[in-house]
Amino acid sequence: MPDPKKVSPVDALPAASRAYGEIGRHSGKPHWGMVVDQERCIGCWSCAVVCKSENNVPLGGWWNRILTDGDALDEPRDERGQLQMAWLPLACQHCENAPCVKVCPVAATYHRDDGVVMMDNDRCIGCRYCMIACPYGVRTFNWGTPERPTPHETGMVAARPLGTVEKCTLCVHRIAEGQVPSCVWSCPAQARIFGDLNDPDSRVARLARDGRVLLEEAGTKPSVIYLSPRRKHEL
Amino acid sequence: MSAGTLGIAASRSTGRWGLALWTAVLLVMMAAGLAAFAYQFANGLIVTGLRNTMMWGQYILFFMFFVGLSAGGLIVASAGRLFGVTAFKPITRLAVVEATVAVMLAGIFIIPDLGRPERVLNILLHPNLTSPMVWDITIVIAYTVLSMSYVWLYTRADLARRGSWLALGTGVSARELARDERLKSILAWIALPAAILLHSITAWIFGLQISRTFWYSAIMAPLFIASALVSGLSLVILLALTLRRLRRIDFEDRLVAYLGALLGVFVVVEAFFVGSEFLTAAYPGVPDDTGPITRLVVGPYAPLFWTEAIVGLVVPFVILAVSRTRRRPELVALAAGLAIAGIFVHRLNLLLNGLSFVPIPLPPGVAIGASQADAARSFATYHWYVPTIVEWLVVLGVLAFGALLFTLAVLVLPLREHLVEEHADI
Repeated sequence: MPDPKKVSPVDALPAASRAYGEIGRHSGKPHWGMVVDQERCIGCWSCAVVCKSENNVPLGGWWNRILTDGDALDEPRDERGQLQMAWLPLACQHCENAPCVKVCPVAATYHRDDGVVMMDNDRCIGCRYCMIACPYGVRTFNWGTPERPTPHETGMVAARPLGTVEKCTLCVHRIAEGQVPSCVWSCPAQARIFGDLNDPDSRVARLARDGRVLLEEAGTKPSVIYLSPRRKHEL
Repeated sequence: MSAGTLGIAASRSTGRWGLALWTAVLLVMMAAGLAAFAYQFANGLIVTGLRNTMMWGQYILFFMFFVGLSAGGLIVASAGRLFGVTAFKPITRLAVVEATVAVMLAGIFIIPDLGRPERVLNILLHPNLTSPMVWDITIVIAYTVLSMSYVWLYTRADLARRGSWLALGTGVSARELARDERLKSILAWIALPAAILLHSITAWIFGLQISRTFWYSAIMAPLFIASALVSGLSLVILLALTLRRLRRIDFEDRLVAYLGALLGVFVVVEAFFVGSEFLTAAYPGVPDDTGPITRLVVGPYAPLFWTEAIVGLVVPFVILAVSRTRRRPELVALAAGLAIAGIFVHRLNLLLNGLSFVPIPLPPGVAIGASQADAARSFATYHWYVPTIVEWLVVLGVLAFGALLFTLAVLVLPLREHLVEEHADI
């Protein structure tokens, strides 16, 4: 009988499903990044929910949220007499100049060689300085014993202990299998594009040239790039 | 000297009962604090009023408050020596003991703030040198050692005269006393910059964070120093008057007026820095920068801010600026009490206003990090922080420990400056 641990969940997928999630071309030394197309985003929160189940995120914590660009959740706002509506999907921006990495007193949050900002939950002392330093508010702390809607854990990642900080890992466990993060894979509007920003010809790198980053003035150099929600063509 | 001994003898029987009661109360508070901490350790920080939307609270507030009390006490003590202000001599030992106890409490207050207090040694095992928190813990440890040596150096000759083992076998020969004076001067040269550094680094924990517009300012370190001087000197004045009443130290009312005048100057400097910060943030009219100022001046935190400004700055300044009121020790004590409360509220405002509003305030906001019966409360853009009873018990327990430590120091250490030494100095 084969060792169940050696059969990865991706191996178990049907071929068509596996092909849909494949990262595709990348340079030998990738810097993983994501483009989020705000024009395509329909604010359905699928990616946020899939993220929670994939990463075993406890109740009350979200690694990925869909903010409404306006005054109230899912409500349009008045822009020069026109009703406008747009969403801002927000998770860790995997900054190159990451304030959280700088301030962590024990280097429990750090950069991987591929640009992913990671957490070591066995080292984290729970001081929450990284949450103070993050200008995007994407980190969440395990205030109490992690609670889940069912008695069971979900997804493909081990739970993080009480009293430590957690956040989006860009699904490094999926990247290791050549698959895009679960938010990218699950987006029904295909508003998320994942790939290697080091490869100038990759789709993500080409799209990123027309995008903007959040809070550019903070100088954090995020690896997540947003495409503007106002790109309608004139007839 | 003999008058002081007589005074203690006269009040010995009532004093002994008072001391026993005081110690008992402190021990009960410490036990309650320890129990609350054990409860928090078992259940996690969910038992506090903190969440993802307001991640630091009561413990960090008391941490920075006590760093300030400590730095202020030692700056007063060592500046007195460095600039040859002999008037401070009767209270120098007291100020140094106060600084030592305060910095120890500051260090202790970090522990309950951690989600995993049992991993605290990771800071020493895997330090990340770009973290202001690592700088701060380094200076807190160094400063604790420094201020303890300072206390010992100032009291060791008298301890040796009493034959106490705390003198560590040192004697009182003329040569040893001369060496004491040399060492005191050297230590003052180290202690003054260390005290300023201690409080600057604590300021940089907050002031270097671009994510928090209200904190991200070059005035943060100078402002923290000013706050330290106001609160530290105020506490020294209050403790000095208390200990004089208990006949542990002697000084004349003139010294109180002198310290009061100094405190008045510090209060003005504090007010000047706060005003300068507010004007710089508000003038360009950028919403990210004016928002925090509006909240403080007319917004939800206005009652706290105006308490800080009027009770903590204006009233003490008036009392201390008028020479007739400044010459009355009880009024100087009142001014010091108000100023210390004002600095506490100032730090509360700094923490609340810096943190409780999320940086990207689009709806629905930040996930608060704990499961909610009402799903609408799972996200928030704003957090009205109220410390829980657990946080209060832990804080009161640590404060009781500090009070006990200080009481012990007062009982064991000779805080009265020895007359012989004063002559040796001239």
